[in-house]
Amino acid sequence: MSYLQLLGLVAPETIVVITALVVLGLDLLILREQPLRHRFWMGAAFAAFGCVLAAAWLLFINSPTHPAGEVSGALPLLRGMFVDDGLVRLVKVALLGLTVFTIAISMESSFTGHVGEYLALILLATVGMMFLVSAEDILMIFISLELTSLSLYILTAFNKRNVKSAEAALKYFLFGGMSAAFTLFGLSLVYGLSGSTGLREIAAKLEQPALDPLLVAAIVMTVIGFGFKVAAVPFHLWAPDAYQGAPTPSAAFIASGSKVASFFVFAKVMMLGFAHAGGSGSWHAYAPGWLPVLAVVAVASMLLGNLAAIAQSNVKRLLAYSAIAHGGYALLGILANGPSGVTSLVYYVVTYGLTVLGAFGVVGLVEERAGEARISDFAGLGRREPLLAFCMMIFMLSLAGIPPLAGFFGKFYVFTAAVGGAKDLGLLWLVIFAIAMSAVSLYYYLQVLKQIYVVPVSAESGSLGAPISSRIVLAVIAFGVVALGCAPDFLVGRLLAAIKLAAL
Amino acid sequence: MDVTLEHYLVVSGVLFSLGLLGVIMRRNLLVIYMCLELMLNAANLALVAMSRYNGNLDGQIMVFFIITVAAAEVAVGLALIVALYRRRQTAHVEDLTSLKS
Amino acid sequence: MQAALFYFFAALTLVCGALIILNRNPINSAMFLVLSIASMAGLFVLLHAFFLAAVQVLVYAGAVMVLFLFVIMLLDLKEEDRRKFNLFGIITGVISVAAIAYISFAAIRSGSASVSRTASDIEGGTLPLGKLLFTNYLLPFEILSVLLLVAMVGVILLSKKDLK
Repeated sequence: MSYLQLLGLVAPETIVVITALVVLGLDLLILREQPLRHRFWMGAAFAAFGCVLAAAWLLFINSPTHPAGEVSGALPLLRGMFVDDGLVRLVKVALLGLTVFTIAISMESSFTGHVGEYLALILLATVGMMFLVSAEDILMIFISLELTSLSLYILTAFNKRNVKSAEAALKYFLFGGMSAAFTLFGLSLVYGLSGSTGLREIAAKLEQPALDPLLVAAIVMTVIGFGFKVAAVPFHLWAPDAYQGAPTPSAAFIASGSKVASFFVFAKVMMLGFAHAGGSGSWHAYAPGWLPVLAVVAVASMLLGNLAAIAQSNVKRLLAYSAIAHGGYALLGILANGPSGVTSLVYYVVTYGLTVLGAFGVVGLVEERAGEARISDFAGLGRREPLLAFCMMIFMLSLAGIPPLAGFFGKFYVFTAAVGGAKDLGLLWLVIFAIAMSAVSLYYYLQVLKQIYVVPVSAESGSLGAPISSRIVLAVIAFGVVALGCAPDFLVGRLLAAIKLAAL
Repeated sequence: MDVTLEHYLVVSGVLFSLGLLGVIMRRNLLVIYMCLELMLNAANLALVAMSRYNGNLDGQIMVFFIITVAAAEVAVGLALIVALYRRRQTAHVEDLTSLKS
Repeated sequence: MQAALFYFFAALTLVCGALIILNRNPINSAMFLVLSIASMAGLFVLLHAFFLAAVQVLVYAGAVMVLFLFVIMLLDLKEEDRRKFNLFGIITGVISVAAIAYISFAAIRSGSASVSRTASDIEGGTLPLGKLLFTNYLLPFEILSVLLLVAMVGVILLSKKDLK
């Protein structure tokens, strides 16, 4: 295979890489002397253009008509390293969309003077996520995971004026490094057991009824590694600090884009690679495997995430703990262990990513004005900024899972998939627990809304003076959350059609 | 007594545990990074040994990639330490306390 | 001979690994890391991974360690003073390490059927590895270049003093 063929296969990723280089070069060479705002606008416009171009390529140019196996079969050199099917393309388009919105909400922020580097790193992190979504090979998974994580560490440390940013990045880095080591050790054991690096071949080799003890060690290590990445309890310690200290747009990106990609690949590793080592997490038919392990992690995440969120006074930390809890709900999609599980998982994490992105957008505007993002800084927002307050209300209610918003349908699909996924309603206990926990979560989301709408405005605080562009972006995101909730079939229908062909 | 795959795996497992112990117990950030390197190296050793006993080179290729990634990661991590040291004059974990609710 | 060399290198690797943790002076720790990595390169040679043994010495013992030492000198870190024991750290540390050690030893001792017992005769020379790298593994190889770019941009950005 020639380089040209290779670049053609990975054209969308190539487009994004080139965009990143252009944005970086443009900012360093030409826009250097311009005012900050001007540079951010130009760079963001270019970056968004590149993302849209890549998404257009994914949607319209030789869209794959054959399942994943055939694609890699036709191109033996890529084997499982780069899978290109309808499902993967949909997830990539969603990732690109989240990236565009992240860029849009960071356009007016002033935490850094290094605009080119900032935008380039966001784009390169997106490239990592796109490769991660395509990967069905443990080496590719590791490399793209590292590409994403390295970019995110740097994005977390981007606010050089604030020592909290550096601290947050260090904590994120330490836990990320541990996670990488665990993932790697687990995957290396898997390689040792199966002798191959592709997930499908691994599953074929490990097809034996009795669980190999070495395989148990491998599964535990891999779950620990990915548990760190998706911030599931008890591997969540980095998340609140990283979210709080990172510049708000970076935190939004960590919570949205990287969550989508990590959960997707987590599901792939478990469902494809360990297809024959699932066991069962049902209450009446327990069997060892990765399903019971994940069930425990999911319960711990939902419990600790929701309870700890109640005690938070900083909205960014509150969103971090709520992210941990949402990670627990999303794990139910993996526990469903089947096509319906994947569909519901993707719908859930994509809508969650969009919602949390919007919420961080509002938090960022408040923080820019107040210097911090305590819940009390939101007091009276309903009168000061009716539009932003309304958007925040939509995001909070969607996160809490109120119909007809996207969050409700996300939860609904995940829960039904989990109930239907196990034999004889075996996971019903988990779903009931999850529903109870989402009722608890309503409390702290309403706390924020109470501040916004009920608590009276203090005398000196007026409007936020938020730029018109940010208002438009947030309104668009809020509209998206409502639209995806009112017409979930728009996304779910496509996912179902794609997954039929994808043979996952 | 012949050296078998198990011998290498024991060495690798012990090395991994040593690294983990260091990451948890030590407080100097640089030493913690060194222990992280130790953990990655444990995985490398397991991969090379398994590559030999599986009879294909995929494991060795993976080690090649891991070494490169680890080098990049260390560079970024050390830059983070330098950035922190500029503002706080510390490289100890227990001084990372400015973030709380 | 092979077995004697294995035990020598393995013992050296582990002892130096333990000394990294036990030493209170970061420079000594760094030096023991060099030794540990170099003896691991010896293990790689025993496993016929000649190219990787060379890379291990060049990249790890060379480049990475120089970076470590450079930062230690730059920051002028003193010896860690003997602080009171961090009880929480020790408890969690011992528990998690014991758990992991237990899992891996149980796994290794019970022996697994699917792992082959006999060493193959593959040689990890430069030629076969290079061939694989530029055929089967071309795509990850290219992604690695993007990863190095990210690291470069990040390191320059983070460690540079902001002008003005």
